Amino acid sequence: MDAKVIKEEQIGRSVPRMEGAAKVTGRAEYIHNIRLPGVLHGKMFRSRIAHGRIVSIDTSAARAVAGVHSVVTGEDIQRLIAEPYYGPAFHDQPVLALHKVRYVGEPVAVVLATDPHVAEYAAGLITAQYEELPAVFNEVEAATSPIHVHDELKPAITFPDLKHLKGKRGTNIALDYKLRRGDVEAQFASAAHVFEHEFHTQHIMHTPFEPFVALAEPMDDSITIHTSTQMPAYVRLEIARLLGWPENKVKVRTAWLGGGFGAKVYVKIEPMVVALALLARRPVKMSLTMEEQFYVIGKHATTFRIKSAVTADGRISARKCEVFWNGGAYADIGPRVSQKSGFTSTGPYRIEHAQIDSAEIYTNLPPAGAFRGFGIPQLVWAYESHTDIIARALNIDPLEFRRRNILREGDEHPTGTAMRDAEFEEVLVRISARMGWDQPFDRGTGTKRRGRGIAIGVKASIAPTTSFALVNVSADGSAVLFCNTIDMGQGSNTSMAQLVAQVLGTSSERVRVTQADTDVTPFDMGTLGSRSMFHMGHAVRLAAEHAREQLEALCAETGIEYQDEHSIAQAFRKKFGMQAGNIFGVGHYTSRYQPADHDTGMSKEITPFWMIGGTGIELEVDTETGHVTILRMVNVVDAGRAVNPRVVDTQISGAALMQMGATLSEEMVFNEGELTNPSLAFYKIPGMRDMPVAIENEALEAETRSGPFGAKGVGESGTFGVSPAIANAIDDAIGVRLYSLPLTPEAIYRGICAARGEPLVD
Amino acid sequence: MYEFSYVKPASLDEAAQLLANHDDAKPLSGGMTLIPTLKQRLAQPSHLIDIAALTELRGIEVTAGQLIIGAATRHIEVATSMTVRTALPALAALASTIGDPQVRNRGTLGGSVANNDPNADYPAAVLALGATVHTQRRAIAADDFFQGVFTTAIEEGELITRIAFPLPTRAAYAKFPHPASGFAMTGVFVAETGGRVRVAVTGAGPGVFRWREAEAALADRFAAESIEALVVDPSGLNADIHAPAEYRANLMKVLASRALRAILNSSEGAVA
Repeated sequence: MDAKVIKEEQIGRSVPRMEGAAKVTGRAEYIHNIRLPGVLHGKMFRSRIAHGRIVSIDTSAARAVAGVHSVVTGEDIQRLIAEPYYGPAFHDQPVLALHKVRYVGEPVAVVLATDPHVAEYAAGLITAQYEELPAVFNEVEAATSPIHVHDELKPAITFPDLKHLKGKRGTNIALDYKLRRGDVEAQFASAAHVFEHEFHTQHIMHTPFEPFVALAEPMDDSITIHTSTQMPAYVRLEIARLLGWPENKVKVRTAWLGGGFGAKVYVKIEPMVVALALLARRPVKMSLTMEEQFYVIGKHATTFRIKSAVTADGRISARKCEVFWNGGAYADIGPRVSQKSGFTSTGPYRIEHAQIDSAEIYTNLPPAGAFRGFGIPQLVWAYESHTDIIARALNIDPLEFRRRNILREGDEHPTGTAMRDAEFEEVLVRISARMGWDQPFDRGTGTKRRGRGIAIGVKASIAPTTSFALVNVSADGSAVLFCNTIDMGQGSNTSMAQLVAQVLGTSSERVRVTQADTDVTPFDMGTLGSRSMFHMGHAVRLAAEHAREQLEALCAETGIEYQDEHSIAQAFRKKFGMQAGNIFGVGHYTSRYQPADHDTGMSKEITPFWMIGGTGIELEVDTETGHVTILRMVNVVDAGRAVNPRVVDTQISGAALMQMGATLSEEMVFNEGELTNPSLAFYKIPGMRDMPVAIENEALEAETRSGPFGAKGVGESGTFGVSPAIANAIDDAIGVRLYSLPLTPEAIYRGICAARGEPLVD
Repeated sequence: MYEFSYVKPASLDEAAQLLANHDDAKPLSGGMTLIPTLKQRLAQPSHLIDIAALTELRGIEVTAGQLIIGAATRHIEVATSMTVRTALPALAALASTIGDPQVRNRGTLGGSVANNDPNADYPAAVLALGATVHTQRRAIAADDFFQGVFTTAIEEGELITRIAFPLPTRAAYAKFPHPASGFAMTGVFVAETGGRVRVAVTGAGPGVFRWREAEAALADRFAAESIEALVVDPSGLNADIHAPAEYRANLMKVLASRALRAILNSSEGAVA
């Protein structure tokens, strides 16, 4: 065989990150760095009460400050947009508070000034009078509280399963997903063992190091929005809807994102900057501070009541799950979290009788929405802690108990969807093999006690969704991929380029990926929920295949053998007489999906693919202080085939370490709805010194037959098992079981004191 | 931040003069507390008098059984100085645990002591070692210097110039840092100097304080067991979003014991 035609496989190659050099040398473009002539900077005045009617807003002192252009309130917004409410699930969130405020920190007015410091100073001079209303903060209380955050539910048309909530009054429940399979009560009545527990998770924040930033630039008859978003196509749709404009008059573009983690999905501050720019007829920029991010979006606090029936031989015969999701004052995408994750609440186990009630609940707290894992880490925390408690109570090895009950290929998930390409058992096998689970373990001595734990979780992909892609091959054989998948640090541009190169038979380095710009990049639902490698991956593959068909035809027409970019270049030159022309390949993909039945919650095809992640932990507890040191963290996922093994590895560790922060230290602490620690000096995210002593990541050698080149998403799988694996290891070390996150030294020490009969009194 | 004038005097006298001439002037050293305070508009000084580079406030030396450190000496300098590490290793070790590298590279001894943050590390060392705080006007004993949360004996226009630490026979500091800020959730400094034992606690109460019960117990028997036998009353200790008083009470005992063990297990008396 001719050596020239042996091409390096692009799939499975750890291609270095294409933007790496630009980022480390400070040359990469970020929205924060854009400077536009005539720009006005907006700074917000926020509510200091949790719930109340707005009586008056006094902006006179702010307007009087030299350099202030204008001060805008919700009523001013209404002059531009009669119904200024946005949101993907419910049209419930006003651009600026109208008539009512619903949480401490809600934007009430904005000062526009040429100098951001002047705007900030003037915003501090605004005062507001409110008629205070009683507020509700706890999700379980809010489910039945007479205090209602919204007078009437206003579902958006986007999701059919929310339609029945239209016009509903007197409730805080924004979504009530139910699953009914078999008869759980009969099982509880007759089972050998029944276990019931309640678990809690706390409200936390994404803390992307690039806070929210958006810049709206009004043109003659259109508007350009430069924004740090994970969903440019949705921003365009929602802004066009709010303004009553056609989509093509709204241009949304991004640059590199300094992290997203789900915070920057759907719309956040974009409606505000657009409205302000159109009112002021000047470009308006808003860059939030790290502190302000805490008031935009966070991760649901949850209460999860779980009850299982177990047979005498250690098989789970029934499980009942009641999950309360604290959605905060505005639904954002919360109802999708409580449904799409809610239906997996029973865990990765074969359970014949299952019942799930998963409810998204409004409260007077900052909104909660998508957060790396999309609700799954909260659920796994509960069901894998519960699973461990059961195993220990029945004196069955926790690994063996899981293997006895785990879903296997072809088994039916409680929703009725058969498991395909879901390597649950192999994940458990690999974790336990790496940990030497069957080997003796050093349990420590004195005040330093060691333990180990494992946990495994499952996630469904958000569905149905659609991706479009366009590949433009130039006359020299190099290619540009036009694609709306946002590279926010996860390395998607590099991986997508590899797919194009694999199909075209060129090298990945010869493919460039554009930043999203809705004027030129085709539609994509958004970069969230680990959907991009599967959905956009298919669209990119199809677009590249479409381009290749045309290239092969061009080569045939010009009598050149199709081999690589050199032969492509030759064919173009021969056809057009010079280096000229383009070939456009287009592709799109929509996932297969069958909606869940409203009454039973079941579906034969509830997800296009399953994500699986597990973690093993070895740790040491300082029994005098409750301080935990993670000695070893083993993360194993089924991500299908790894397109770029190095990118996959960093996605696994990044996800796991992020969840480690959510497990050990992060917590937004509220006092009557007021956040007491909106600062990185008091809100602890993990730093380099908090890393586990050793960390190992593994993506199974697996293949997703329905995925592009056998691949599927991997951005979240590393989060799933971390929290319960740590709690299970703590229990293993010191015999203390914790039911609420975070597992701070104080919480652990409190557990130690309680266990020895000397509880700490407050 | 509000507008202010930045002034960099050439001498201590000039600095003092500037402070005397402007009612709302503030001295600036490392700025670790002052700059964030200005950013949050919690202070509106007319002038910032930058004293960080004044030669009168710098230098580390051992004379007449005392370690003398200039007020503008940065934490990193104390942590890495061979003079400090030889004469008073517990103090060098304490300095190496303050905040993070950025803080240690900017923050100063005098700034920390003058600010008297209830969670700061240095006040525990100054009080436990019975150090003397020198200003351009007088010498103040540690016992008279610290007067509660963010309050000291320092008067208007008075500047700390140096701190003189008597060299202890043995000493150690043990600390449980706040995971985010690095401040002491609780920190305990144990020192035996000239046959007398002093124990100072930071982070646990409203300002650094001497733990007299621990001192008495250690005077009887200099051992961790003496601490472990004590009962700490949590009333009066700090309770906030970071930890309740009961947890801090526990930390006092645990950390004092660890400081003791570090002293007794190490000939150098380094930090636990």
